[in-house]
Amino acid sequence: MENNLLEKEKILDVKNIFKEFPGVKALTDFSFDLYDGEVHALIGENGAGKSTFIKILSGAYQPEKGTMVISGEKHNFFTPRIARRIGIQTVYQEDILVPGITAAENIFLGTELVQSKKFFVSYKTMINQANELAEQLGINLNVDEIYEKLSPSDQQFVKILKALAQKPKVLVLDEPTQAFNVSDIGLVIKMVKRIIKEGVGVIYIAHDLDEIIEVADRVTVLRDGVSINTHDKSLEVFDADSLAKEMIGRPIDLFYKKKESPVGDYVFEVRGLKLKESSEEINFKVKEGEILGLAGLKGSGQSEIVRAIFGSLKKYRGKVFYKGNDITPGNPMQAVRSGIALLTENKKIDGLFMGMPVDQNITVVGLDSLGKFFLSLKKEVKFSNEYVNKLNIKTPSLDQEVRLLSGGNQQKVVLAKWLFKGVNVLIVDEPTHGIDVNAKTEVYELFTELAASGKLIIMISSEMPELISLSDRIIIIRNYGISKVLEKSEINEENILSGFMGGN
Amino acid sequence: MPNSKEIKQEGDRAASAAKFFKHQTFYLILVIIVIGVIASSINSNFLTLRNILNIMQQISTLGILTMVMSLLMISGGLDISIGNMAGLIAIVFARLLISGKSIFLCVIVALTLGIVLGFINGLIIAKSKVTPLIITLGMNYVFLGIALIVGGGRPQSITGEFEFLGQAKVGGVVPVAIILFLVVFAFAFMLRKYTKYGRRLNAIGGNTMAAYLSGINVDLHIISIYALSGLIVGFTSLILISRLGMVQADVGANYALQALAAAIIGGITFEGGRGSLVGAFFGVLLFGILNNALNIIGVSSFIQTIVLGAIIVIATVVSNIGKTRR
Repeated sequence: MENNLLEKEKILDVKNIFKEFPGVKALTDFSFDLYDGEVHALIGENGAGKSTFIKILSGAYQPEKGTMVISGEKHNFFTPRIARRIGIQTVYQEDILVPGITAAENIFLGTELVQSKKFFVSYKTMINQANELAEQLGINLNVDEIYEKLSPSDQQFVKILKALAQKPKVLVLDEPTQAFNVSDIGLVIKMVKRIIKEGVGVIYIAHDLDEIIEVADRVTVLRDGVSINTHDKSLEVFDADSLAKEMIGRPIDLFYKKKESPVGDYVFEVRGLKLKESSEEINFKVKEGEILGLAGLKGSGQSEIVRAIFGSLKKYRGKVFYKGNDITPGNPMQAVRSGIALLTENKKIDGLFMGMPVDQNITVVGLDSLGKFFLSLKKEVKFSNEYVNKLNIKTPSLDQEVRLLSGGNQQKVVLAKWLFKGVNVLIVDEPTHGIDVNAKTEVYELFTELAASGKLIIMISSEMPELISLSDRIIIIRNYGISKVLEKSEINEENILSGFMGGN
Repeated sequence: MPNSKEIKQEGDRAASAAKFFKHQTFYLILVIIVIGVIASSINSNFLTLRNILNIMQQISTLGILTMVMSLLMISGGLDISIGNMAGLIAIVFARLLISGKSIFLCVIVALTLGIVLGFINGLIIAKSKVTPLIITLGMNYVFLGIALIVGGGRPQSITGEFEFLGQAKVGGVVPVAIILFLVVFAFAFMLRKYTKYGRRLNAIGGNTMAAYLSGINVDLHIISIYALSGLIVGFTSLILISRLGMVQADVGANYALQALAAAIIGGITFEGGRGSLVGAFFGVLLFGILNNALNIIGVSSFIQTIVLGAIIVIATVVSNIGKTRR
C-alpha cells in the first residue's frame, strides 16, 4: 500500500509538548500532526492526557515547552482567541449552547457570516445558510427548532455545525457520539467523512475502539501523557485488541493496595430492575462487607441504575431487598430511612450545601443524634470535630463555608455526612472524580475500612486502577443492562475493556 | 502534643471574632449607632426612653413580618402576598366582630385563616416548583380582591372593641406589641438554629436538590413553613387592627416589600440558606431608627422615601462586593 499522506498538506504540526500540573505530568514530549482531509484519532484511558492536549489546542491551557505550527505559522502557545483566528474549532461534550433560541441562531451566534444588511440580521438568510450547511453534511435537522427541544443527538449536530460555520482548518471532536444510540453512531461517522472532504482535518476522540477503527485514518495511542504509537490505516491493519493492549500496560505500583477482609453473606439484592419497559432486566446481589464495582462506558446507564435503586429516578419496575426485607424506596427519604446512601457524581450540585458551614453539612442528615427537639450545638461541634479528625478534612474551622474547601475535602465532607447518619449500603458514583492523588488514597482507605466493618459499597467508577484495586467483584453495564460479571480472579483491564465493547 | 483540641477551639474563636467584623450585621449596628449619635446631637429628644419605645412600637408589625419573610427566604422561598394576606384577615376579623361574634371566635377564625392562606401558597409553590415570587405576586392580588369584596371596599371600624394587642402597655410603659415582636424574633431565631426543622429548612434553601437526596421531605417542609408564616401573619393582622381600630382592604399593601427590604438590609439573601435573623432584626431597627431620626431632624417625607430606597441599594451592593472579594 502506498502512503497517501504524501499527497496531502500538513496543516498542523505539534512538536515536543510538555505540560505539567502539580504532581502530574500530563503530557511528556508529545508530538502530533494532522493533514488536511484526514481523521486522526486520539485514544487513551481517562487521565492519559487527551483532554489536556485538546485544551492546549483550544487555548485553555498553555504548554511549558514545545512548538505548534499551523499553516506555516509557528506558535509556542495558543489563547482561545488565537486558536479561533487560525482556524482551530473544538466541540466539547459538555459544551453549552443557548437553550432558548433556535438551532440556526445558535449555529451563527457571534458569526458575521449572515449579516445580509449592514446592521440587521436576516433570520431567513440564517435559516437558509444553516440548512445548506446541514445538507452538505447529509444531516436531517430542523434548524428552525428551539435548541433545548432538540434530541441530544440533534443538539450534538448543532454544536458541530456551529464549529463548522467558523470555517475551521482543524476540527476537534471530543466524544462526538456520546449522545447517540449505537445505531446512530454511523450517522456521525458518515458526517465526519464528508467534513474531511472539504479539506478540514479532524482530530477525533472517542472511547469505543470499533468506532475509532471505522472513522480514523490514523490513530495515536496516548498513555500517561506519553505518545505510545501512531498507526496508519493505509500502511497496516490494526484491531481493537491490539489498540486496547497499547492503551493499558500501566506499571503495577500505581495501584492502590487494598487490605483484604473477609466478606459475609448476601444481604442486599436488586431484583428485576427495569429502567424503561424496553430495557433489560437487572438482577444482582451484594455481600456484607463487599465492594462491588459498577463499570461501563460513560452514558451506559450506571448512574441511572443507582439512582433508580436509591429512588431518585423513576423506574419501570424492580425491587430492592436488604436482609430479606423488601425496602424498595419510592423516593430518597425512604432510601435514607432504610440505610441507603447515594453519593452522586456531581457533589456540588446535589451533595453539598456550599454556603453552609462544615459542621452543618456534616450533621444535616443525622440531626436526630443531636437531641430530641432542641439541638445541642455542643454535641454538634463535638461530633463534627470527630469526623473532621477521622477523615482528615482540612478546614481552618468548623464555621468555614464548604464552598471554600478543596474538592477532596468537599468529598470527605459528603462522606462524613453519611457516616455520621450511619448507613448500611453506601452507593458512590465516581467517588474520586476531580480530587488529588493523596485524597484519593484516603478515600480508598476509608472505603476499605467501611467494608471491613460490615457495610457494603456499590461503586461506579470510570477509573481503571480504582475499579481494579478496590472491587471484590465488577459488574459491567452496557446499554442499561448487565453485560458481564467479573469475579475477583477475573478482574483485569483487558476483561473490563472487552466487557465495555460487549465482547466475551 | 498537649491540647491540640484546645488550640483548635482557640482558633475557632479567633476565626469567629474575625468573621464578625467582616459580617454585615457588624456594619449594620455601626450605621445604627452613627445615625443615633447624629440624630441625638441635633435633637436631644431622640435618645429618650419614650422615643426609643416609640420607634420599637412603630416597627413591631413590620418586624414580625420581616421575621416571617426571613424564615421563608432562608428556606429558599419568598412571600410577596403577606401584606395583603394580613389585610384580608383583618377585614374578615372586623366584619365578624361587627356582626356580633365573640372576640374569641374572631381570633380563632383569623389565625385559622392565616394558616389556610399560607398553606395554599406553600402547596402551590411546593407542587408546581414555580418561582415563589410569581406565585405570591399573583396571590397578592387575589387576597386584595377578596378583601375588597368582603369589606365592600369600605373601611371597617371596630374602635374600642379590641385594643389589647395594639395599644396596651405592660406595666404602663412597654407596649404589648413590642413584646410580641421580641417573642416572634426569639422564636424564629431558636427555630432556625436549634431545631431539626429549622436546620432542614436552611438546607432546603441552601441546595434543594442536595436536601432532597439527603432524604429530607422537601415538600412537607416548604408547605409547613408557608402555613406557619400564614399563622404569624394572622397574628400580625390582629395587632394591626387592634392598634388602628379601623382597617381597609389595602392596610398591609406596603408591608411585604418593606419586610423584604428589611430582610435584605439585614443580610438575608435570595439564594437561601444564608443570612441571620439577628441581622434581619437590625435591618428592621435601621428602618425604624432612620425613619424616626429623619422625622425628628425635620426631613420631608418625600426625601425620606429616597433615603430608604438608597439604603436598600447600598446595603445589597456593599454586601455583594464583600462576597466577591472573599
